[in-house]
Amino acid sequence: MSNTDIQISICGSAGDGTIAAGDILRRVMADIGYRVICFDVYPAEIRGFGKCIARLRITDQQAYSLKAKSDVLVSLNDSHAIAHAGELRECGALIYENTSIVAIAEGGHMSSHVQPGHLPYPVAFRTLSEKATGANRSRNIVALGFIAGLFGLPAEAFKKAIAAKFKSKAAVAASSVAAFDAGYDAGTQRFKLDDVCFGKPTATVIPGATIEMINGNAAVARGALDAGIDNFFGYPITPATTIMEKLASEMPKHGKRLVQTEDEISAIAATVGAGFAGARAATSTSGPGLSLMTEMLGLGIMAEVPAVVFVSQRGGPATGMPTKTEQSDLNIAVHGGHGDAPRIVIAPTNVDGCYRCAGKAFEMAEAYQTPVIVLLDMYLSNRYETVVFPAHPPFEPNMSRKLGKGENGDGYKRFALTEDAISPRAIPGDKGCMHVVTGLEHNELGRPSDQTDMHLAMSRKRHEKLKAALQHPNFTCHKRFGDEGAVDVGLLGWGSTFGECLEAMYKAQAAGIRCAAMKVVMLSPFPAEAVAAFMDDCRQVLVPEGNYQGQFANLVKANLARPLTSLTRPTGAPVRVEDILDEIRRLAALNQQAKAA
Amino acid sequence: MATARHHIVIGNGVAGSQAAITLREREADAKVTLITLSALQFYNRYDLPKVFRGHRDWREFLVYPPEFYSDNRIAVRRATRVANADTHRRVLVLEHKEELRYDMLLVASGGRSYLPEELSEFRPLMHGFGSFEQAVNVAKVLPEGGRVVMLGGDMIGLDLARTLVDTGHRVTLVAGEHTFWPHELADEQRALFIKALQDMGVEVLEQEVVGAIAAIETGAKGMAARRVVFAKGSDVYGDVVMPFFGLVPSVEFMLGSGVDIERGLLVSPELRTTNEHVYAAGDVCQIWDDAAHRYRFYYGWKNVRAMGDIAARNMTGAAEPFVSAQDEILHLSGDGRIHSPFWEYE
Repeated sequence: MSNTDIQISICGSAGDGTIAAGDILRRVMADIGYRVICFDVYPAEIRGFGKCIARLRITDQQAYSLKAKSDVLVSLNDSHAIAHAGELRECGALIYENTSIVAIAEGGHMSSHVQPGHLPYPVAFRTLSEKATGANRSRNIVALGFIAGLFGLPAEAFKKAIAAKFKSKAAVAASSVAAFDAGYDAGTQRFKLDDVCFGKPTATVIPGATIEMINGNAAVARGALDAGIDNFFGYPITPATTIMEKLASEMPKHGKRLVQTEDEISAIAATVGAGFAGARAATSTSGPGLSLMTEMLGLGIMAEVPAVVFVSQRGGPATGMPTKTEQSDLNIAVHGGHGDAPRIVIAPTNVDGCYRCAGKAFEMAEAYQTPVIVLLDMYLSNRYETVVFPAHPPFEPNMSRKLGKGENGDGYKRFALTEDAISPRAIPGDKGCMHVVTGLEHNELGRPSDQTDMHLAMSRKRHEKLKAALQHPNFTCHKRFGDEGAVDVGLLGWGSTFGECLEAMYKAQAAGIRCAAMKVVMLSPFPAEAVAAFMDDCRQVLVPEGNYQGQFANLVKANLARPLTSLTRPTGAPVRVEDILDEIRRLAALNQQAKAA
Repeated sequence: MATARHHIVIGNGVAGSQAAITLREREADAKVTLITLSALQFYNRYDLPKVFRGHRDWREFLVYPPEFYSDNRIAVRRATRVANADTHRRVLVLEHKEELRYDMLLVASGGRSYLPEELSEFRPLMHGFGSFEQAVNVAKVLPEGGRVVMLGGDMIGLDLARTLVDTGHRVTLVAGEHTFWPHELADEQRALFIKALQDMGVEVLEQEVVGAIAAIETGAKGMAARRVVFAKGSDVYGDVVMPFFGLVPSVEFMLGSGVDIERGLLVSPELRTTNEHVYAAGDVCQIWDDAAHRYRFYYGWKNVRAMGDIAARNMTGAAEPFVSAQDEILHLSGDGRIHSPFWEYE
């Protein structure tokens, strides 16, 4: 049983320093030795309009998702935070500004929204900031100090994190520490009425491994680097941009090249080009960018060129909700484009998975000579978790099918029809391996051919070769959790929603429901055999996901003729554990009724 | 369509809470808002000595469960300070600059502990007992068997002294003119009650005037943390020093409101102030006594609760005078024990 399981939400307006405060808090908590999962919500506007929320779940054991109810809610802007007062649990701490420089209309202050079970902590953030720093800009840091003081967290760890965050701005760092101290003193002096208690952290020690606080996009970048990425081409788009930003700061240190292209079409074209030239190359984008890339992905598939595309989904279609999460690009990732265009699509389910999928994507692209899409979403891209990184990168530096004896020379067949449908691959410049690459259908030599038999053979080749990806070494295509054997309810989950599935499953088990969950990481090719076996064990199958259409549920139904219940939540926010749990209970009750009948 | 009236009650003690309940009962459609400085819902301050018997969870002190307020549609603004009342516009301005419009206002903000001016500089060295938080704080620092130096000794303090003695602590009372407040005793009566206190186990120092209070470095285990020095040069040591000099009405936010104030808000027997939309109840008000031709305070749980009820009734159309429901005389029983009506509550 976990001693510490505390979720803190900080809510403010863009420009209040909400995300910055959450960033410092999560780093401190991770440094102290807690496990942390965090997800920030921010608006599309740059400053002064929209709502920002930093949510952190701090635990001493592995957690899999954020909680629906927070234990602590800090309001830096009541006009935004009031809507979230109901998300605070009973006996939780509600911390808010008690001063104002303007008149407030009735009901416009957080004090009128403190619910009977909440413990209110009005704090003079503004006044304390002004006294400590001469300005009110550090209200967020005062709030951090108050949290630390109230809950007895180590002040020095915060000061260290503040100094690190503002290391290039000594004056800002000094005034921030002063603001922190002011808040800390106020926190220590306040009588603590809530029942929020931090237990001792239980830091995991694994020889050689490192534990880091990292978000999904940074983990993707790290996975790419550890897998030996040579070139990256990208065009910025929320929420994928930070992959490129991270790589832009790291790749030059390793002699690698990153190019910001003029648009997504150029980015994918350059990525395919680099892959053709033998480089490990990747691009990143979001739904709108993936739409633009589909034609060139078709070229990569036809030409059997390795390429990796990181796609972070957001609310769509069109510009949609650029800063809100959604799982609605599964269809375009798996099926998008013209012609019979099979590709590998993998979707990590947590931040650790982002690292592993990113690295493995390069292996797969190379091994199966095709574009690989790594399908993230905003919730995963921006979600911070404490991740244990292995001492040595778990990725193979080269997985190209080598040419066998006599396979080079004038008769070199770049698209040779082999038993496993994977051809020996030479790259331009390899001696004696001259070959042609074209977007036209081609024969084994690569020369254009529209012969019916050849199109059939090559189409089969492009599809059949991907089956091997389901047994790709040291890669988890799917995994089952929970009760073994027959269960009342089985959850089929994918992507970021799987954490919520797992939490719901554990809660259902605690409530006496036989329950299991399977995460499906490999979306294409679809691991039909394993999923079928799982579904056969389940009296009811529930498929929760963050889109309207039930895209994953439809994918399952397209592959397997088995009944399932689709639970879709296209809200722009992560699917709630409680919603999944309610549905599990409903399905379990149906089972009971069926038994009784 | 007529808008439901908004009744605001300032203070969620015995008077304010009772008033909110009565308001809700009498006007089902009205909006009822309670405003309190406390971070907690209504708890009975008479229960606070229980902290020395190990009760430290605030939930044990609540008179009503939290859902009582939502069930009865009583909005409670906790941890909220009223800055001022604009009785012309019928608007309350809260400290954070939020404005609340009311139709009828009841001031039941009670009283805060009085501290004589000459002791104010020593406030940081003393422990109050006016709230749950203060009660727990003093209980935390008072060691087992430790000594409390009690200054003044009003009936709230003497109620605490009973519990302290009962729980194995030592109490030294520095008696003075506020001892037994709000009871007014003749000299010969006072001597009897002082004797009763001593028989109870309280050490009583008479004729001493506090000159200074000092903190002592608490390096050695068992060393007292406070030294009280008297004007004549003698001193007494204790682990905590607690002032009990009676209460003064909390009326600061009503200054400038146009409502008549003497020490408390002046109200008619119907508990109406000089503004027809503003009533007052509890320790904060002085009620006109027709027989005595003067305004006077009434204390005690029964009186305060009755005031809250009557004020609410009169705010919603009744016209009933307040009549003291409580015998206000201090008694000595046959076995020499003190009985105060202010120690009795349900």
